[in-house]
Amino acid sequence: MSQNALSRELALRIALAARALPNTDSKRLLAVLSDCVEAPMTESKIATIALETFRQADGGALAQVDSTVLQQALKILSNTAPEKILPATQAYQDGDLPNSVRIACASDDAIHVNGHFGACAWFMVYQVNAEEARLIGIRTAEIPEGLVVDDKNVYRAEQIQDCKVLYVASVGGPAAAKIVRLGIHPMKLDEVASLAGIISQLQTVMAGSPPPWLAKAMGIDAGERFKFGQEAVG
Amino acid sequence: MALYIVEADCISCGDCEPVCPTQSITEGPVVFKIDKRTCTECEGDFDVPQCVKVCPIDNCILPLEA
Repeated sequence: MSQNALSRELALRIALAARALPNTDSKRLLAVLSDCVEAPMTESKIATIALETFRQADGGALAQVDSTVLQQALKILSNTAPEKILPATQAYQDGDLPNSVRIACASDDAIHVNGHFGACAWFMVYQVNAEEARLIGIRTAEIPEGLVVDDKNVYRAEQIQDCKVLYVASVGGPAAAKIVRLGIHPMKLDEVASLAGIISQLQTVMAGSPPPWLAKAMGIDAGERFKFGQEAVG
Repeated sequence: MALYIVEADCISCGDCEPVCPTQSITEGPVVFKIDKRTCTECEGDFDVPQCVKVCPIDNCILPLEA
């Protein structure tokens, strides 16, 4: 069957489901799915795949995979609304978390920081202090139909303008400059990391001696900051 | 006359260090710093201070008063 026959929605969900499965890329999952349903592949047919059929398809390609993981993958594949695969956001009001910063993470699967700034599916927005982290928003930066914007990257950055730090898997140079101009500190990761891992790493830094710019973002006064000997400016 | 780096704003990117014509910028224990004894604000070398030009943060490198 032709891959072109897939709807954009379904193609996205196959890609997301493949990420949820170990050692499986979209191509391999597509082979498994082709074995489960008759061509042409449609969303309604995919939604009816049973767990055991899925496990044994394509010569048992997924036979070793844990049932809960397979179920999660099937759930991603069958949901009609992509929102359903996203975690729930938590309530937050200003002042709930003292000395906290707001951060955004570019993600394509809501599990890892694996998004490219200019193309990621979502910005996962967290309010983080040394003790606690809350997921307070999941924002897409898709430009609404009909809206004309001068610069796509500026528009995307404006969606997370309230954040102090942005974690991305990749970002271009000119785009990074536009992000900085809006007062957001972009952090490009050397390798893909989980959202939870990035947050706990940030919390470790916040609990220790944060760099001055981060301390400022946390709202800690200069006087309270840990001083490194006699390093006066000038 | 000399410039200084505002400690609370410097993100330690290091972009300013190689562009200084007088090698006055070094990485300090917290953030980068400018040696006020050798900083010339690029006078004689360039029209505008090179560190200010390359710094990605607004108002992070300022003239030292007095």
